[in-house]
Amino acid sequence: MAKTILAVDDSGSLRQMVAFSLKAAGYDVVQAVDGQDGLDKAKEKTVDLVLTDQNMPIMDGLTLIKNLRELGSYQKVPILMLTTESSDEMKAKGKAAGANGWLVKPFDPKRLIEVVQKVIGS
Amino acid sequence: MHMNTPPILKLRHLLTDVSDHGKQHLMRVEADLLQTTYLLNKAIEDLSASFISVHDSVTKQQQILDSLVEQHHFNHEETKQLEVFKQNIVNEVNAVITGLQFQDLTSQLLTRTVNHVNGLKDLLQELVTHDDAIVPGNEQEQLISFLEEVDRKLHASSHNLAAGSRPSVKSKDMATGDIELF
Repeated sequence: MAKTILAVDDSGSLRQMVAFSLKAAGYDVVQAVDGQDGLDKAKEKTVDLVLTDQNMPIMDGLTLIKNLRELGSYQKVPILMLTTESSDEMKAKGKAAGANGWLVKPFDPKRLIEVVQKVIGS
Repeated sequence: MHMNTPPILKLRHLLTDVSDHGKQHLMRVEADLLQTTYLLNKAIEDLSASFISVHDSVTKQQQILDSLVEQHHFNHEETKQLEVFKQNIVNEVNAVITGLQFQDLTSQLLTRTVNHVNGLKDLLQELVTHDDAIVPGNEQEQLISFLEEVDRKLHASSHNLAAGSRPSVKSKDMATGDIELF
């Protein structure tokens, strides 16, 4: 059975490119338009990996991670940030919130798949 | 304006004019930025849809080709050439996916700029927002007090504007970003 990845980003085109790349590699993808939508969808079904943007309306990525880590079912699910933010300060905040990795946009599809495979397998 | 108009009133009129003219120009800038955002999003949306459609067709075409290669005996050179084309397509697809993401980065910059324009409009509004009544006499003191009040409001608005902004996008080329696993 294909593993499911929750892709959270307020940019429709970015979500489309993430979903396109992950589906081509054999993953199922659930999309969410902001942190709150991501949290709602994560509660509906526990996914194998969360890939989230940082700067989004309603709820940002760091808040989403903190909320997810408070859910019993998401304490060990890998969460990767995919964002334009690249400062060490933000990365440290992400790590403290519970992120497992930090990817700076724009992403290279090949490298994205390599990282996802490394984190959750094929 | 009458020659005997107190300097503080003249100053208030001048600041009102600066504010009104500034806001009018900023509204035009905002309208152009929003239209640019709309056109850019629409163009990339259409390009993305076409790209995905082309990719679907190429993938199906490739499956047929793979099947033909299995069923028929192509010579080594032709098979090798087909593999080269296949790899070229993969590389170009990756490049397109990377390239299309720059719309997101550009869109973030445009949003940030629109927010700044709106912040500047609020800032200009501070030039005309003053409740103090003008009392005859003590003009010098009133003028100084008024200027200090405007200066204080401008500083506060400017600080709020900077603090509320999303970080800027710093990418200067089409390179992809770093990856770090914790």
